[in-house]
Amino acid sequence: MKKIRLLMAAVALVLSVGIASAQNVQVRGTVTDASTGEPVPFASIQVKGTMQGTATDALGSYAISVPGNGVLVFSSIGYTTLEVAVNNRGQINVSLEPETEFLDDVIVVGYGTVRREAKTGSIATLEAENLAEAPVNSVDKMLAGKMAGVMVTSQTGQPGANSNIRIRGISSVNAGNEPLWVVDGIPVMSGDQGYFTNTSNAMAVVNPNDIESITVLKDAAAASIYGSRAANGVILVTTKSGSQGKAKFQVRAKYGISQLANDNNFRVLTGSELIGLRRQAAMNAGMNPDNPTSAGYYPLSRLTGPQTNWLKEVTKLGNMQEYEINASAGNDRGKLYSSLSYQNTEGITYASQFNKIVGRVNTDYKLTNSLTFGARVNMAYTYNRDTEMQALYYANPFFAGLSILPWTPLYDEYGNYNVNIPENSNTNPMYNMLSGGEVQWEKQFRNQASVYLEWQPVTGLVFKTNNMLETTNGEGRRYWGPDPGYTEGTLQVSTSQYIRMTTSNTATYNTTFGDAHSFRAMIGQEAMKETYHSYFSYSPTVDDAIPYPTTSIATDDKIDYSYSAETLLSFFGNVDYSYDQRYYLQGSVRADGSSLFGSANRWGLFWSASGSWNISNEAFMSGIDWLSLLKLRASYGVNGNNNIAAYRAYGVYASTAYNGASGMLPSDPDNPNLSWEKNYTWNVGLDFAFFDSRINGQVDVYSRDTKDMLLNKSVPQTSGFSSNFVNIGALNNKGVEFQLNGDIIRTKDFNWNVGFNLAYNKSTILDLGDTDELNNADSRIKHKVGKSFYTYYLKDYYGVNPSTGQALWRAADPADPDNEDAFILTSNYNKARYIYAGSPEPKFTGGFNTSLSWKGFDLSAFFEYKLGNNVLIVENRYVNSDGNQNMNQTYRALNYWKEPGDTGVFPKPYIGNSSNSYAMPSTRWMERGDYLRVKDVTLSYTFPTRIIEKIKLGGLKLYVSGLNLYTFHDVNWFDPERGVNGMGSGIYPMTKTLVGGVEVSF
Amino acid sequence: MMKKYFAIIVLAVAVLFTTACKDFLVEEPILSQSTSLTLSDFNGLNKAVAGAYSPLADGQWYGAMMVLESEMRAGNAMRPINSDFTSGRMMVPYDMSYNESSTSGLWGYAYYVISAVNNVLDVIEKGEVELVKDGVTQQDVDNLQAEALALRALAHFDCLRTYARTDGSNDRLGIPLILTPQSPDDQPARNTVTEVLNQVVADLTKAESLMSSSYVRAGGVSSKCYITVDVVRALLARVYLYKKDYSNAAAYATKVIDSGNYKLWTAKEYPTVWNKDAADKGGEVIFEVYGATSNSYDEYWEGPSHMTNPIGYGDCAASFDLMDLFEDGDVRGSKGIRGTDEGKVMFCTDPDEKSLGQMWTMKYQGKGKGDAVSTPDVSNVIVIRLSEMYLIRAEASANGAGNTAVSDLNAIRSNRGASLLSSAGSAAVALERRLELNFEGHTWFDLARTTATLNYSDGVVTRNLTSSSKEWALPIPKRETDVNENLEQNPGF
Repeated sequence: MKKIRLLMAAVALVLSVGIASAQNVQVRGTVTDASTGEPVPFASIQVKGTMQGTATDALGSYAISVPGNGVLVFSSIGYTTLEVAVNNRGQINVSLEPETEFLDDVIVVGYGTVRREAKTGSIATLEAENLAEAPVNSVDKMLAGKMAGVMVTSQTGQPGANSNIRIRGISSVNAGNEPLWVVDGIPVMSGDQGYFTNTSNAMAVVNPNDIESITVLKDAAAASIYGSRAANGVILVTTKSGSQGKAKFQVRAKYGISQLANDNNFRVLTGSELIGLRRQAAMNAGMNPDNPTSAGYYPLSRLTGPQTNWLKEVTKLGNMQEYEINASAGNDRGKLYSSLSYQNTEGITYASQFNKIVGRVNTDYKLTNSLTFGARVNMAYTYNRDTEMQALYYANPFFAGLSILPWTPLYDEYGNYNVNIPENSNTNPMYNMLSGGEVQWEKQFRNQASVYLEWQPVTGLVFKTNNMLETTNGEGRRYWGPDPGYTEGTLQVSTSQYIRMTTSNTATYNTTFGDAHSFRAMIGQEAMKETYHSYFSYSPTVDDAIPYPTTSIATDDKIDYSYSAETLLSFFGNVDYSYDQRYYLQGSVRADGSSLFGSANRWGLFWSASGSWNISNEAFMSGIDWLSLLKLRASYGVNGNNNIAAYRAYGVYASTAYNGASGMLPSDPDNPNLSWEKNYTWNVGLDFAFFDSRINGQVDVYSRDTKDMLLNKSVPQTSGFSSNFVNIGALNNKGVEFQLNGDIIRTKDFNWNVGFNLAYNKSTILDLGDTDELNNADSRIKHKVGKSFYTYYLKDYYGVNPSTGQALWRAADPADPDNEDAFILTSNYNKARYIYAGSPEPKFTGGFNTSLSWKGFDLSAFFEYKLGNNVLIVENRYVNSDGNQNMNQTYRALNYWKEPGDTGVFPKPYIGNSSNSYAMPSTRWMERGDYLRVKDVTLSYTFPTRIIEKIKLGGLKLYVSGLNLYTFHDVNWFDPERGVNGMGSGIYPMTKTLVGGVEVSF
Repeated sequence: MMKKYFAIIVLAVAVLFTTACKDFLVEEPILSQSTSLTLSDFNGLNKAVAGAYSPLADGQWYGAMMVLESEMRAGNAMRPINSDFTSGRMMVPYDMSYNESSTSGLWGYAYYVISAVNNVLDVIEKGEVELVKDGVTQQDVDNLQAEALALRALAHFDCLRTYARTDGSNDRLGIPLILTPQSPDDQPARNTVTEVLNQVVADLTKAESLMSSSYVRAGGVSSKCYITVDVVRALLARVYLYKKDYSNAAAYATKVIDSGNYKLWTAKEYPTVWNKDAADKGGEVIFEVYGATSNSYDEYWEGPSHMTNPIGYGDCAASFDLMDLFEDGDVRGSKGIRGTDEGKVMFCTDPDEKSLGQMWTMKYQGKGKGDAVSTPDVSNVIVIRLSEMYLIRAEASANGAGNTAVSDLNAIRSNRGASLLSSAGSAAVALERRLELNFEGHTWFDLARTTATLNYSDGVVTRNLTSSSKEWALPIPKRETDVNENLEQNPGF
């Protein structure tokens, strides 16, 4: 607290110096961008030859007293400096020419902006124009492969689903691995907020078209200012502001269709293929396939009835449509940006739908010459419908579509959906989805509203208070209709509410002194409170005619409630200093206090220090014309991870029941020392640009040590507890990132540019406290010291015995059991050895893009890849079961052992196969997950001005765009993308989408 | 103008800094109760003792396995010959294939109860919290303390019997005595058997002196499912028997028998009581563990009702060895058919009689609250009943304390339709205990504390244990020896 007071005093001192100078002619005016006519906020205005100066406000206006014969120097990051003689004028409006070189872009960073050239940390950015017309539901989907080191992985292709984002690897077992999302300066809620639906992405609340830019803060130097929540990186989203001038409207519409992405023609068998396989399997088991009393009775007459391609029946073409209108206007006092959009996506199976209505109002208004007020208000309604498709549920249409036998009819004799499907537990997914067998949905009303007040009392000093209220009100419903012939259904409903309030208050001081010294200091305070509660009710006996809790038998109903609250209080500051555009230093510090941690460790201190050296601006480099930029960066810092459930620090008693009476039993030990996970990261980077910056790029090398990792430590049960949640354990991620962009051709009519990024990351678990191995939630994954964070732990499948067709596994060699390279072969699954088989974490991730433009035509293509990862396709064991499962099988199952000498085939199938040949865990189902995806190809045509003017429009653009057009991979499944752990427990497959759209502005 | 804004902002920021910091960061859980709050007054302590009963119903304890596994080991139970009746459970005790990774899980639940009551005893013993106020009397506090002490004694005792050998060589390794609240970092070592038994006696004796003779916890469905002073005395009789302190064993058995609160079931009543709650059972039950799916600890499908039901999991059938012991007319060995003869006999075969003559005990025939198909039935599990008091006194007598052995055994036998004895030594007492208390979790521990030999064969498995066999003390769970370096594993494991 003392430190904070000192800082405040320092600011006050600086302030009084600023107030001291003021006299002569009063000049007012605005500074605008010469190319767009938009105001230039925070442009610096100096009286030449003096220390005196001011800056424009958020709307580009300024006022300054100057000698009547003085000269004003207008400058701003990203613009050419302009000198204007005052000549006793009271009004001077200037237009600044933008500097076209990329070096001078302004990028948004934590609590401010910085010239790209001045950055010292590892930062990646994405401008609105690159967000393109991609047919996606939410912004996170747009990041895949676009930035080195930012890995975006989908668990499912379901509309409205959230993604898993891993920035520079995985850092935590128990405290979360998702980055912090910051929208317009305020950390917001993210992740999955659904109740019954499989996934419900909180970030879908932001309309991608409203986004101006996205910045990803990757290293400690960039992210540490976000302190206890920055360990997994920070994604800053900035939405659009209004533009000055007369009102501009833009109308967009798009429509697209989607289908299952299945570029390897993965399929199951037809009836005749399957009957052949089953008959052979029966004969292999010594059964007569034509004997009705045999367990292997598979007569050819099965083929005489109607055959159904179940996968085809449960899937369909999906579609998406989106309509949006936005308006932008402004004058010298105020700016407004507003948009309203509607999007509806219907999935590639029935009962899969996501739609949303999103409205946004962004305003900025200049109350006085020094005070600016603004608001960012975003409101959304989302509706998400799906069916129970997590894992291998019988109701999962995609798995049922693979497993139901082709001779099982879709309809019964009365024309209703057939629900006599023993191989799928009598569950017909079509009945569930279309005849009320099962309905589940989530409706959410989401609000993100912030207001800010900015006060600029003197040049360079800005006080800002930014306050956000964020709410999500959700309503969920899951209804299982009665089985045919019954009248009572089971209903579950939920209502949930998330509320987060944040106030963020900063004071920033910017100045330059001497010829070449530039200084910026910021101090701030932030407070956040988040509460969550939900009600859930379960009514197993509602009347199907009125399927609401009112009709259920009250004594059967169950109700439950959950609640949690979390607070965070923070003080922070940073200092930037640069000298002569050659040397840059930056330091930041943040103190966070969190209610999540123990009373002894509630406060954490996080910091970073970084510097960069722009070698190309040194005098000794001045002769080298082809080199536009060569800059070395280095940073080190510590940030934290507080992403754990509330109340873990409290010793608590929970209610218990015995003998019809309630009592209290200890449920968690007191844990006053519980604290943050800490990440210590160093980063060294090189930025470079050649040939007038037409080729530019960057290389970063980093190492991130996670320490004090939060783990459940086993404790003696004599203490009354089995485990305690404590800070032990360590993990390292290290990697290299490389990014290269080139403007190959840059002419008036024809432009061609390419970009490429590549990231290598390797995680290694260093310490797990009192054990060297932890189980993942999924038993087939282990966390083991010395290995990658996720490591598959599987039985070591060898292949088929060529003389008998039996499955073989490797087992430890009894003569040399500790030697991993020595093994014997066994046909007994129980004797097979377990091995650490591989990791689902890709070694390399990245993407490349190219864009060609000729006159009004623009063709851009974007490719994404992951290399060096494994996937484990659990489903395959059922649909390649070597005769064991009475389900349909994949085309691969036909390639089985037929005669002695056959190798590289599946084991000899037989009905009732009890050899466990198809069992899980087994390396048999692990595959290389490498892929290269044609992620996005867009062709657009912008009508030339002369035509536009004739039809009295501001602009007209038509485009077609394809998402996931083709994927190159070798995985024996629809698609290789299976989530962060490579197992894809929710298996709504990926889809490909083709969309066409029009954009009109006037 | 500027100065005014500045003053406002400085003021606002200063207010935020100075006020909010402290309380703002405290968010206490509202859906559970902090440990300190639970233990801050009499009502909280009372609830904490009520809660400390619930793990007794866990499946590792009276909820199933302490009883069923010990019967399996002792040779009273076996896995059915016809594998149609097995679910794959109970393999380890039947095959005697215990190891440190596959052993009884009673340890954790016993210490869970011990630490739960230690929290209460710590508050009462320290006396820093004023409990006697607002209508709460000193006797109320004493009753609560006595109840907690008795639960601590029972938990230590059952844990000791499971993981240590109580064969009279009492300097053997026992279990850690935990008498004060522990930190997760504490790594207690094992005390000797003698030390543990002495502490169990001390806790029970103190409980007897503190507890009012009319005290029974309020609020429960069945008063027989809580500790009373009779329960304390009955437990003392049993513990003294384990200590081979026969005169005290006989004295406490006599106290219970002479209390007049219990009466032996008659031969007619005997088969009818097992599907009832204690309140309706009349007569014999001194203490039993309540069975209900509404208990927080409930073994559900693996509870004794389902495990001893041929229509359920059925893995715990009666051994042929046991069935051969009963004489004709002894109601304790009466046989019938499941689905027809409930309430009439003590052993039933399956309704379709496909079980090759196999019988299943009817002691856990359930309270009729389940159907074995959609919901398992539940049973109360008797911990102590009156006939055990006669058997304790008879054993004490056979070992020189008193001369009531014959009359005590005959008191039971005359109420079971069995012939009367004319003489009774230790062997007769041991046989009578097996006839009377089979499937109630006694036989294994009786063998362990007396002969420490076992010869059993049923054609599937053969078990020949001598006094040096390691199996008499089950291995301590590996998870516990892994995290407590002072904890010595039992020899042989």
